[in-house]
Amino acid sequence: MNPTQPTTDLLDRYLQAIGEYLPTATRDDVLAELRANLQAQLDDRSEELNRPLTDPEVAAILQQHGRPIVVAARYLPQQSLIGPAIFPYYLMTLRKAIPFALIIFFLARASNLLFVHTLPDLTAGIAQGLAHLIPDLLIFVAWVTIAFAIAEYVYNRNQSKPFRLTWDPTKLPAIKPQFKGKSRAARIADLVFHCLWLLYVLAIPTHLYLILGPSELYFRQFSVTFAPIWNTFYIVLIVFLVFQLATKFLALNPTFDHWKSPLDLLTKVFGISTTAVLVCSKTYFVATSASTNQAVLANVNHWVNFSFRIVLAITVIDLLVESWKLLRPSLRIQSLVF
Amino acid sequence: MESNSNSPDPQIFDSLRLELRRGCLIVAVLAQLRAEHYGYTLRKALADQGLAIEESTLYPLLRRLETQKLLTSQWREEDKRNKRFYKLSPEGETILTQLLTELNSINQSVNTILQNSTSEAIS
Repeated sequence: MNPTQPTTDLLDRYLQAIGEYLPTATRDDVLAELRANLQAQLDDRSEELNRPLTDPEVAAILQQHGRPIVVAARYLPQQSLIGPAIFPYYLMTLRKAIPFALIIFFLARASNLLFVHTLPDLTAGIAQGLAHLIPDLLIFVAWVTIAFAIAEYVYNRNQSKPFRLTWDPTKLPAIKPQFKGKSRAARIADLVFHCLWLLYVLAIPTHLYLILGPSELYFRQFSVTFAPIWNTFYIVLIVFLVFQLATKFLALNPTFDHWKSPLDLLTKVFGISTTAVLVCSKTYFVATSASTNQAVLANVNHWVNFSFRIVLAITVIDLLVESWKLLRPSLRIQSLVF
Repeated sequence: MESNSNSPDPQIFDSLRLELRRGCLIVAVLAQLRAEHYGYTLRKALADQGLAIEESTLYPLLRRLETQKLLTSQWREEDKRNKRFYKLSPEGETILTQLLTELNSINQSVNTILQNSTSEAIS
């Protein structure tokens, strides 16, 4: 039994839709073969039912056969930008290179921020720099991908010995020594020294010579004193040191070890905030009399600010490196199955 | 809520089953094409023998095997319709023989492993 006209119409439309995704060279041949197979299937079904098929019945068979774009895709040569032979190297390169790319990015942005642009608002400068992070990272990944896509192309053209990388098991690195946490004695010593350090800092406001030493005399001689920013800094510093004291006290308990790294990071963030308080201020010393040389004082304030910016840049990079070390195990791809 | 460790994700089974079937389907297709078929009758013949395979998988597979010179094909009229008939080529016959040897060897090894593991479990 032959299908009715509407049936043929639906089949034609289906084949036309598939043809749109097929290359010209093979389109007619593939469509002719598909038509013959589908027509035979429709005829079979029609014979089973002993009547012509209705449009919904034909539609059901075509639907089961698959979406045109998916059907056409299966007739296309199997292509991959980076195939399974090259992909592990690609993944490994990205994993190894991205931290370096991040370090270079942050170094470049930090230098730009600190030495080229003197932005009035440091927060705006940091936000502006971070806004470039994702686009710059994507560009980096794109270049690596292009390089490996070229390698894949070359590999496919020369599927032979030169690309079969040989390796020697005897050249594998020696077993890394297992990391052992600090001993209890070391933890106690750490806590004691931190307490002493906190007491020293607490004593500074009443015993200024503890921090200035003999230079206290120069302060008097040149008629300068600390700017009000140091009061703010001092309060932030004390909070920071108390926070550190708490973490060191908790660290006496070995079960606390798995919290150590996140808390260390938090401590670093706290440290950066403390430094940022100083960087935001441009005045660190103020004159106490009209006779003070204002030009020298401005110069001193400028270089102190410059030093704090360098310290801030270094601590930010340190924080990024430590964050990466902490997050890397959870970002690691568990397995590669091909 | 704690998940039941004895009931793995069904998707894992589906994925493993697909992997297991993939190679076997090619062997079955090559073996079935010792006799000439066109796409639809081949699919029916395989399904009738318990190896159902989707059209969208089978038809492109036939063309791929033909490109690899394991099959030959020719357009011919049957029941007033032009159809493309496929048949195993001499190269295909050689490959099929090798694949069947490999398949039998794997089957034997798996059976041996299963027997050994069962007897070890009992003892």
